[in-house]
Formats: sequence, C-alpha cells, structure tokens
Amino acid sequence: MFDPATKILIVDDMLTMRKIVSKACRELGFTDLTEAADGAIAWSKISESPTPFGLIISDWNMPNCTGVELLKRIRGSQKYSKTPLILVTAEAEQKQIVEAVKAGVSGYVIKPFTAQTLGAQIESVHAKLKAG
Amino acid sequence: MTAARKLIDVNFINPFLEATLKTLDTQASTKAHAGQVYLKQKSDKYSGDISGVIGLVSDAFTGSVVISFPAKTFLAVLSRMIGEECTEINDMTRDGAGELTNIIFGQAKIVLNKAGYGINTALPSVIAGHDHSVVPMTNGPRMVIPFETDVGPFVVEICLSNS
Repeated sequence: MFDPATKILIVDDMLTMRKIVSKACRELGFTDLTEAADGAIAWSKISESPTPFGLIISDWNMPNCTGVELLKRIRGSQKYSKTPLILVTAEAEQKQIVEAVKAGVSGYVIKPFTAQTLGAQIESVHAKLKAG
Repeated sequence: MTAARKLIDVNFINPFLEATLKTLDTQASTKAHAGQVYLKQKSDKYSGDISGVIGLVSDAFTGSVVISFPAKTFLAVLSRMIGEECTEINDMTRDGAGELTNIIFGQAKIVLNKAGYGINTALPSVIAGHDHSVVPMTNGPRMVIPFETDVGPFVVEICLSNS
C-alpha cells in the first residue's frame, strides 16, 4: 500500500467530484491532499510543488486541459514521467481507454465508485510500481 | 431496430433506472426504490427545486434526461455524497446536481451504446428555483421514473424525438 503520507493531487473541474475523491482518500487514510480544477492548473501545481506528488487522481473530461492531455504532459516530462496517474471517468468507451493506456495511464476508475474501489485501484498501481 | 421502435423500447428506460439506483447507492449510500414508470401528460406537474438536465443526441433521435429533486431530498443525498452537511441550494450544491446527472448519464450511456444507440457525449446543465418545471424543446413522449428514498422522492424524466 502507498504510504499514508503520500502527497496526492486530485484534479477535476467539478467541485463535487473533488470533494468525493478527497473524502474517499481520507477514508483510505491519506491526509496530504491538494486539489486542482483542471489539467492546466494541475500542471502548475505539479511543476511548482517543492515536494513531488506521489499520486495524481484526475478526471478525464475537463476544459482547458483534459486528463489524458495532462497524462501525456506528465509522461513527456523528464522530471515527473514516473508519477502514477489514475483517471476517473463516467464514460468508459473502449477507444478512450486505449488512448489512455497508450499514453501511459497507471489505472482508471469508473464513476460511481466507493472508497474501496478507489483503494483497490491505488493498491494495484502501487503493486505495479513495486514490480518496476 | 428502427428509430421509432427505439423511442418506445423499455430497454431504453431501464439503463437510466438502473444507473440511478446504482449511482445513489454507490456514491451516496442511499437506497432508492423505483415506482411505476408513466407517460407524462401536459397537465402533470412535478414540483422540483433543483434539476440536472442533459441532452440525448444520436443520429436517430434527440431528447433530454431531467433529474428533478425537492431541495430537502437533494441536499440530504449530496451531504452523503461529499461527507459534508449541505443546507441550501447554492453554487456548490448546483455543481453537485450537475455531477450527479453526469454520473447517471454516463452509466446509462455505457449500456445504451453497447446496445448500439450511439449516444453522443454531453454536458449537464442545472436549473434551480422553488417549484420549477423543465419543458423539453422536443415534442416526443416524456417518460417519468419516480423514485423514493429514505430522505424523500425525486424523478427522472426522459424525453425523446426522432432527429
């Protein structure tokens, strides 16, 4: 399991979903949570943070910079390319998932979801990281 | 399957019913119970205080899905969703109605598009105001699914017309 002190960035243009993801993360024991309202703001927070984020949980469809665009930006950067990113979506279309997998997504969660579902996905990402 | 048959097919209604039950249970720990689906007449009035509206657009039809709540029901459901006490309809709670509509629509769309309906992605709008009603711009039949929960009733209304 991820260290509960892991710094997590939650990205969603909908305030309600940021609150839902934050609530789930708190239920899972995480306390260092930062929120961003779209991918562009998220990138600013990632690049300006004095300590790196250990996990990013991002919405898929957002204005300005979508979750996949943020993912591609992160994977394309030398400094943050290994940061795990989980996408959250309400519409799991096959071609969307293929695009995200090709872009290097660490995992995805389909809405609606419980804290347990998110926790299982975070655990799976952690296992993949440990396996190298 | 013809477009006309799709409009009256119960298989079109059920994904919205199931998506609503699942979303409220999973995201808001609220067990909802669906009542008898009925065809809304022009004289029928449902007193909603906050509604999420989302367009249904495909090559074969256009329409809308409206999810209407009395304020008391909606604020209780949203409080459970986000783990914070919500006491009034404001910008934050309107955002919640949009997200709830988005999740229900997304769940139903997955099922319907697997069945070949080809529904396009859409963004929800929210209407708030005491005792308002939402009048769709399409003139097709309006099917209403009433729901009951431990915190009060709400309805999901589906309207479809041929494109």
